[in-house]
Amino acid sequence: MKDYRKNMQLALVCFLLVVVLNFFLPRLLPGNPVAYLTGFSEQDMTPAQVAFYEEALHLNKPLAAQFGFYLRSLLDGTLGYSYKKDAAVSALIGEKIGYTLQITVPAVLLSAGIGLLWGLRCGYKKDSLADRFSTTALIILNAVPTFLIGLGLMIVFCFQNRWLPYTGLNSPEAVRGTAGYVWDRALHLLLPVGTLTLAALPSRYLLVRNMAASASDGKDILYAKQRGLSDSVIRREYLLRSIAQPFLTMLGMSVSLCVGGSVVIEKIFSIGGMGSLLTEAVYTLDYPLMQGILFVTTCIMVLSILLTDFLCLLLDPKRRSEGKG
Amino acid sequence: MRKKGLLPLILGLLLLLMFALAAFAPEFFTSYSQKELFTKWLPISREHLLGTNAMGYDIFTELVYGTRQTLLVGVLSSILTLILGAGIGILGSFRGWIGQLFNGLIQIFVLLPKLITLIVLATFFGSSAVHLIVLIAAFSWVGTARAVRAKVLQLHTQPFIESCRILGYSRAHIAVRHILPNLSDVLLSRFLLGVNSCIMMESTLSFLGLGDLYRPTWGTMVNFAYKRGAFLRGAYQYLLAPGVCVMLLCLAFYLISLWLTARKETISEG
Repeated sequence: MKDYRKNMQLALVCFLLVVVLNFFLPRLLPGNPVAYLTGFSEQDMTPAQVAFYEEALHLNKPLAAQFGFYLRSLLDGTLGYSYKKDAAVSALIGEKIGYTLQITVPAVLLSAGIGLLWGLRCGYKKDSLADRFSTTALIILNAVPTFLIGLGLMIVFCFQNRWLPYTGLNSPEAVRGTAGYVWDRALHLLLPVGTLTLAALPSRYLLVRNMAASASDGKDILYAKQRGLSDSVIRREYLLRSIAQPFLTMLGMSVSLCVGGSVVIEKIFSIGGMGSLLTEAVYTLDYPLMQGILFVTTCIMVLSILLTDFLCLLLDPKRRSEGKG
Repeated sequence: MRKKGLLPLILGLLLLLMFALAAFAPEFFTSYSQKELFTKWLPISREHLLGTNAMGYDIFTELVYGTRQTLLVGVLSSILTLILGAGIGILGSFRGWIGQLFNGLIQIFVLLPKLITLIVLATFFGSSAVHLIVLIAAFSWVGTARAVRAKVLQLHTQPFIESCRILGYSRAHIAVRHILPNLSDVLLSRFLLGVNSCIMMESTLSFLGLGDLYRPTWGTMVNFAYKRGAFLRGAYQYLLAPGVCVMLLCLAFYLISLWLTARKETISEG
């Protein structure tokens, strides 16, 4: 229990750190904070405009009061205002985050599922031919940058053979709300999800495989084999149980990694999700939007860690018996 | 065992040697200079191993000249990572509030969404090569710090450190003369893996357009290729070759570190 509570505390401290970083970055860097907070360059603004923005952003108030205003913008859910796009940051992100989640959630689940099953199988039969082959292959895949996987898949599936669409999330002629629309979306999602899954798979697989390999040396496994239990029972009832908790913890921590990876993937496949929003904000120097995205990503990360900690708690036999007794 | 351990080392060293040669003596690989102009979008031929790009530069030459910058960013940020990681790892192994503080710092940085934070910070600070090196190092030291901290804590339980303490050596003396030398293999393998993650990070950031445009790396090349329509021109090699180079370079470092771990295991077994 203590461990889980500690993890939650750490996640919260991390959260606060991002909030403080977001607040102080534009105010402490050399240059006028007005330029950072609006994204317009100082030379292009008239003194009246500068004064207006200073008033609107509360920059003429003491630092503590500014921090108060900043916290309030986080609490009421607007996350600041993007002057470049003339909209509240939360509205901009809310519009796009669904697309990002459509890529990341399936990829996280798929890579975790495949990594777990495959890793358990190979770790249990370690040093067999299949294990050596797949471990080597995945070590090589681990060294491949995400953009290379994406570009490679795109060239093979979209350009050399025109099997799959390569851009956006829907064809222009698809009509919303029909079965064809869903099928069209699924076809469009296939490559992005596949890329992210391939990019995330090696680390999952290698972790599970190494944990399973060292766990299968244990005396409990030897005893189970002597009792004549089948391999699948040993894998499911013995190995899976012993590695479930570290696996879940790793999974929770890696969700933010996949959200990061989706920035690259959305750029390659021209998908208008949160990642493209971030790339766009980088090009147009829309600082408030960038900070909002960093904030939302941190939220996702904290939530996923809390969720996996909760699952670990449910899995922990010690905790279960305490609850009963 | 010995034979099996040597093969990856030789492979890794050969690959690394090739890239190092390309970094220090690019003229050895290509007879063209960096800014020599040819017809645009030439296909693969004997004169142009990878064709030419949107500006008319020879892609293979660009690739060879990009090696130096990629290696430089990777190695320098990895060295910085190593220094930061070793320092914070050792501080985190202290007893008392200093240890708790730095240990907490390590655990917080494990959780941060690294890529997004780096993108935001790189935009705020402006993306020059120096900024990138410092920023990448500032967010990559966690793994090293954890490994160093675990190793120091493990060393502290060893009899030889205990006897040093009984003999009355000062803590500084024990730290410098007895703990530090024993950290060398952890640091070396973390350095090799660190170069990998730093190169990976740098090429991802440059691919997203955050690289130093005056000193193009492989990631910047892919970014240009993507932006200037290499897809529509069918110049797939322009998109893929830099990524393949990143992969080979990472594999080279990984293979060498594989040999190191194998060697360590044989020593502890024998």
